[in-house]
Amino acid sequence: MSDRTIHLHQEEVKITHASEMDRRSFLKKAGGLLLAFSFEAGANRAEAAGAGTPITNYIHIGADETVTVFVGGGEMGQGIWSGLAMGVAEDLFVAWEKIAVEPITASLSWLTGGSSGVSRRMTTFRTAGATARTLLVNAAAQTWGVDPSVCAVNNGAVINTTTNASLTYGQLAPLAATLPVPATVVLVPSTSFRVLGTAVPRKDLYGKVNGQAKYGLDVVVPGMVFAAIKNCPVAGGTPKLPITKPVGALAVVALDSAVAVVATNSWAAMNLANSLSVSWNYPTDYLTQNSTNFATTASTLMNSTKPYVAGADNSGAVYTAETAGTGAAGLSTAAKTLELNYSFPYLAHCCMEVLNCTASVTPTSCELWVPTQAPNSCLKTAQALLPTLPASAFKVNVMLMGGGLGRKFEQDYVKQALQVAIALGKPVKLMYSREQDMGRDYYRPMAVSRVRVGIDAANNITALHIRNVVPSISNQRGVVLGAKGDSAGTEGVVGRSYALPNRLVEYVQHTSPIPVGYWRSVGNSFNAFVMETAIDEIATALGYDPYLLRRQLLANDARSLDVLDAAAQLGGWNTPVAAGHARGIALAPSFGSIVAQVVDISMPTTTSIKVHSVACVVDCGFAMNPNSVEAQMQGGIMHGLSAAMWGQVTFSKGVASAKNFSNYPAAKMKDAPVITVQIINSGAAASGTGEPGVPPIAPAIAAAYFKLTGKRIRTLPFFPGVTMSG
Amino acid sequence: MAYTINVNGKSYNVDVPGDTPLLWVLRDVLGLTGTKYGCGIEVCNACNVWIDGSAEKCCKLPVKEVTQVKITTIEGLSADGQSHPIQKAWIAEQVPQCGYCQSGMIMRAAAMGSKPTDAAIDSMPNICVCGTYNRIKKAIKRAGTGEFGAYPPKP
Ligand code: FES
Ligand code: FES
Repeated sequence: MSDRTIHLHQEEVKITHASEMDRRSFLKKAGGLLLAFSFEAGANRAEAAGAGTPITNYIHIGADETVTVFVGGGEMGQGIWSGLAMGVAEDLFVAWEKIAVEPITASLSWLTGGSSGVSRRMTTFRTAGATARTLLVNAAAQTWGVDPSVCAVNNGAVINTTTNASLTYGQLAPLAATLPVPATVVLVPSTSFRVLGTAVPRKDLYGKVNGQAKYGLDVVVPGMVFAAIKNCPVAGGTPKLPITKPVGALAVVALDSAVAVVATNSWAAMNLANSLSVSWNYPTDYLTQNSTNFATTASTLMNSTKPYVAGADNSGAVYTAETAGTGAAGLSTAAKTLELNYSFPYLAHCCMEVLNCTASVTPTSCELWVPTQAPNSCLKTAQALLPTLPASAFKVNVMLMGGGLGRKFEQDYVKQALQVAIALGKPVKLMYSREQDMGRDYYRPMAVSRVRVGIDAANNITALHIRNVVPSISNQRGVVLGAKGDSAGTEGVVGRSYALPNRLVEYVQHTSPIPVGYWRSVGNSFNAFVMETAIDEIATALGYDPYLLRRQLLANDARSLDVLDAAAQLGGWNTPVAAGHARGIALAPSFGSIVAQVVDISMPTTTSIKVHSVACVVDCGFAMNPNSVEAQMQGGIMHGLSAAMWGQVTFSKGVASAKNFSNYPAAKMKDAPVITVQIINSGAAASGTGEPGVPPIAPAIAAAYFKLTGKRIRTLPFFPGVTMSG
Repeated sequence: MAYTINVNGKSYNVDVPGDTPLLWVLRDVLGLTGTKYGCGIEVCNACNVWIDGSAEKCCKLPVKEVTQVKITTIEGLSADGQSHPIQKAWIAEQVPQCGYCQSGMIMRAAAMGSKPTDAAIDSMPNICVCGTYNRIKKAIKRAGTGEFGAYPPKP
């Protein structure tokens, strides 16, 4: 662990004793100390959903010595629930083993995205833990008739340092519950951390090795029926009515852009949905919704001259995302120029758990069981459909997610489940087959990027001009692009610390109507490839080592340089490479963290590249739980690797090509490199790690591939059209 | 039509069409939801269970074909749900992320016996979208050291 100072995000924390209503509404154990703590949720993707909602979390200390942290946020494998509870354990001075963690329901919960779940909220949880500790100390001091300063805390008890008497938290909790909440508390100094920064085990592991963990798809509600979705294969299409109920179905329900088939079990529902023939009213332009057309449009827009006007219709307009020095002007006088054209496909999320939602609606109540990254949005979706029900009638049970990856922000599947439940008047578990899940996604946007580089006679880079043509996630959701353009289109190529004094980065909004959404690392998922491959190509043009070129360009960014050097060291950059192997390197900052990766590959086959190892170095400021950070890096790398190798969704007449893992492959054991992760606790603001592992892997592999074969990969995926069997 | 199947040492009578895949009988009829649906086309192996001690996909396996065999699901791998050496190794190495693929992974790994070759591990056909492969490999090897006891005999 670093001995440098640790900065954690400051949030405005409000802490109170919980109300009687809070106690009754969710706390099954009576008595004890129950603190409620709130802050404003400054979700960093405010446009996605739910921002600005006041958040309430709870700590309960029972007379039976149990300590329970009730925590919001969506758990999709990233360990957020355990991560935040670690902050409570730290400042409350209880052993990690004694802490229990429970999720809380949606009206009290927040959005999980932007890799910020743990890092942003840590101060809040720590402050709450310290507040509970202070109350318990005050209760002990009052009991003994001494000043709180003679009391010490240790492992769930308060000790009178004069008499050595001791009272447990459980014994003190009832009195503590009656004392005033202190206005200020002292947090444990980072040099004394016992829990934070250590690899404590997550709380959710047991249920995940014995089948007991309950994901959304595992929900059982008495009397429920099973609905399977048959979406219109083209987004925006509507079903033609009437629809005949197939033999064996309990019901068919026409939805906005889908039909739900209801049966007595999941399999019957999916089969009936699959074979049901539905006529659709397709969107008028569906015949033009082809990948070839999208590529043509992108080429045209690459030369767009339409001026960008904040607040206007900016499709096809040229937005200046970043400019520095003389911008692109140096290109015309450069001794040497490079023009590099990169292209990226639409990608599906394909979370391991398909989309699903269970809903029960009665005349007086509405309850949801939903695997979601945006519980509060689910609540709003339900309230919009049932405007006459009072707020107290709604309950959202946040279920474990079998992966979220950005797909489970969306509300399509939640609304569908609610509509079916309302139509039938009984509880419904609605699910997507894998084919439906891949076929109607909010895809990672396609992107086309052109990079022009000017180099003078002395090998100085005198101009860098990047233009990205990308559909806008925000604009598709009704956000009018204003003075800030669309950051998701250029994040990863703007704000880079490479010493390239003359830069121009432009964003042009592509007009494709294919629904797009947030996919693990969002714009960084392709922009890191653009920037890092361009740097690798510049190094080749200059005859430089790509690692050393980066070193030069990062001379003024000590933090990135540390990460880069550590990765080169860890990956043995300066050591001889095995015969038939090659190495590649890439660096990408995202979500406040900096990640560099060195890969070692050998000769590719026609369907994949063998990646033997990945050396990954991450600076996330301070790793709250190094074990989780390692897992997130490994996971991000595998996710980026699958996408780089095979990930591609094409469209024909608006219909997605991706059907199942058979034609949208994912890496398996044989494809997994040995991934070694090194963490640098630099002392910078603590930042997220859920997404930053993804961006560098594809350009690192492509760089190694070039070294091995002399061929530049400028279009992803590396191996389009590969199929996979079991 | 009613079928009798043996799951985790218990006999169940299930009244479903004979072509209903075992996966959905386990999940929707018996409430054994530890076995997961991932693809339904025998590619991802999220649905792995043991049929007479060998790891098999069950998302297309008709229930009428498994009336004469012993079926073991993740719920039946160990009596207390955590004492199989593979389960202990999974906890010790903190393998699961979202956890959704792990029932299938564990049933596949445990069926390989305590000392599978690297080639056998590399040929595991299961998909983990979270990318937990490195830890899975470590956990299998660690379980093979005997640190968590001997592998119990398969049913
Ligand atoms: S669900 Fe059976 S192999 Fe995927
Ligand atoms: S742990 Fe999430 S899919 Fe494997």
